[in-house]
Amino acid sequence: MPTSAAFLVSGAVEGLLDEAVLKRLIAHVGAMPGPVYGRRGKSALLKRLHSYNQAAQHELWMVLVDLDEDADCAPTFRMSCLPQPAPKMCFRIAVREVEAWLFADRERLARFLVVPVSSIPSEPEAVASPKDAMVHLASRSRRSEIREDMAPRPGSGRRVGPAYTSRLIQFVQDQSQGWQPETAASSSPSLARTLACLGRLANL
Amino acid sequence: MKKSTGKALRFTTIQLENWRNFTRVETQLQRRAFLLGPNASGKSNFLDVFRFLHDIVTVGGGFQEAVRKRGGVSSLRCLAARRYTDIVIRVTMGGGNGNTWEYDIEFTQDNLRRPVIRRERIVQGFVELLARPDDKDKEDPERLTQTYLEQVNVNKEFRQVADFFGSVRYLHVVPQLVREPDRSVGKRNDPFGGDFLEQIARTPEKTRHARLGRIRDALRVAVPQIKELELARDVRGTPHLRGKYEHWRPQGAWQSEDQFSDGTLRLMGLLWAILDGSGPLLLEEPELSLHPEVVRFIPQMFARIQRRTGRQIIVSTHSSDLLQDEGIGLDEVVLLQPGDEGTSLRLADGLPTVKSLVGGGISLAEAIMPQTRPDKVEQLALFGD
Repeated sequence: MPTSAAFLVSGAVEGLLDEAVLKRLIAHVGAMPGPVYGRRGKSALLKRLHSYNQAAQHELWMVLVDLDEDADCAPTFRMSCLPQPAPKMCFRIAVREVEAWLFADRERLARFLVVPVSSIPSEPEAVASPKDAMVHLASRSRRSEIREDMAPRPGSGRRVGPAYTSRLIQFVQDQSQGWQPETAASSSPSLARTLACLGRLANL
Repeated sequence: MKKSTGKALRFTTIQLENWRNFTRVETQLQRRAFLLGPNASGKSNFLDVFRFLHDIVTVGGGFQEAVRKRGGVSSLRCLAARRYTDIVIRVTMGGGNGNTWEYDIEFTQDNLRRPVIRRERIVQGFVELLARPDDKDKEDPERLTQTYLEQVNVNKEFRQVADFFGSVRYLHVVPQLVREPDRSVGKRNDPFGGDFLEQIARTPEKTRHARLGRIRDALRVAVPQIKELELARDVRGTPHLRGKYEHWRPQGAWQSEDQFSDGTLRLMGLLWAILDGSGPLLLEEPELSLHPEVVRFIPQMFARIQRRTGRQIIVSTHSSDLLQDEGIGLDEVVLLQPGDEGTSLRLADGLPTVKSLVGGGISLAEAIMPQTRPDKVEQLALFGD
């Protein structure tokens, strides 16, 4: 792990929660998060991937995208999106959504959501729709604030509650009580590979 | 913090006839509501209904003054109105410990162009507490120039409604007015912020200090250089907001509101309005002057404040950044669509196209903004020739 925080890593993501995760990971390997691009959904991000890759010829970059149901496994999907990543590009895929990486720190997430640890999936990458699973978990929280913020109101017609994103961002950003990337990496191979890739970037 | 959702009364439905842009409309309202529509579709006129109800019960106001302030019945009446020309406002309220209310007012003008009430009705639950005109009104038609709601000596049974209307707040801070309060001298509770600093100064010191502290912390998200925020009076007693900005001098430097940026003042006004009061809050385009990335968090900020206070927030907006938010319910979005017979109101969850687009993973902004786009907007470019 590098010791100096002098180098910047730029990034591109699908949404606001992914941005918080990306910044946390960059800081975790001792780098500084640079400007973050995208935040307009997956298809917009993928469309711009080649431009980001161009920029990564000269500076360090990390692009984070959800696998969703787009392919059976991350490597296939990665090859189809960006067969030739630039040397300074770390193009990573969360299996299947970034929420799975949060599940991977079971203890802390259970405490944050105020739910039993046993209710959190132990194999986060096997969850088909981590976002829905997260909403479902939150809707069973013992704390009403969590339920009201994260679970959608009946009739809202949305997948998530009115403050779902900001709640999870809080969890990701809280270094003392919240999400621990290192712990999470031990039960999420796609996160472990991401940390390894970022570590390599930091040593370039 | 303690939860109190469900305790605050809120507007649950509204029905209008012949009010400004609206010939005949009806919509539900959630605790949070976003009004969308092209320019001049009637978003502000829609918000003005709630301000009108507020004005009816205001001391020194009342029904006559509320109509007069708006240029009389003839300027309130919808241009598309034809036969049934009474102006009708019907609202239902609920969410306050299972208490439900209905208030209904219908009015027109007499031969002297004086506003007169045709009907006033208040229902609590299923019980009708008031139905006018009553026998006394028939005896003395002069009585129909005032609502019962505004009269303390008769409104005891339904004072909760009067208090609720009185608690409606509208704020649309115009930075220029905050910086140059001379333009609105003597105005109290000026919704455009002319006496914004006075309003802050009138707040009891302890509350003010606590609120300014919270606002400073929130402001720092958008304006990280700001370190302190306080209210101080100058030698003439005029209140000023002072902010301490961090820069190369080790002590930083104090600036007062006339040096604050538009965005800083607008965000401050927005945050103050959210903390001030507990009744319905009406906001016009909270996104103005703010960085789009700041705007994206506004809906979640509203949701979280509402979870604590239960306060209803109704906002008009043109911002697709704001509508990117994944947590905005389709039943929270009211679409205003102008037509030959006046503007119509539709909830986004009643629009099959929007519903399927959003269900398919497209953002609400992308799904709904095209519905608010003016028809021949491209013609504007030709104005340059």
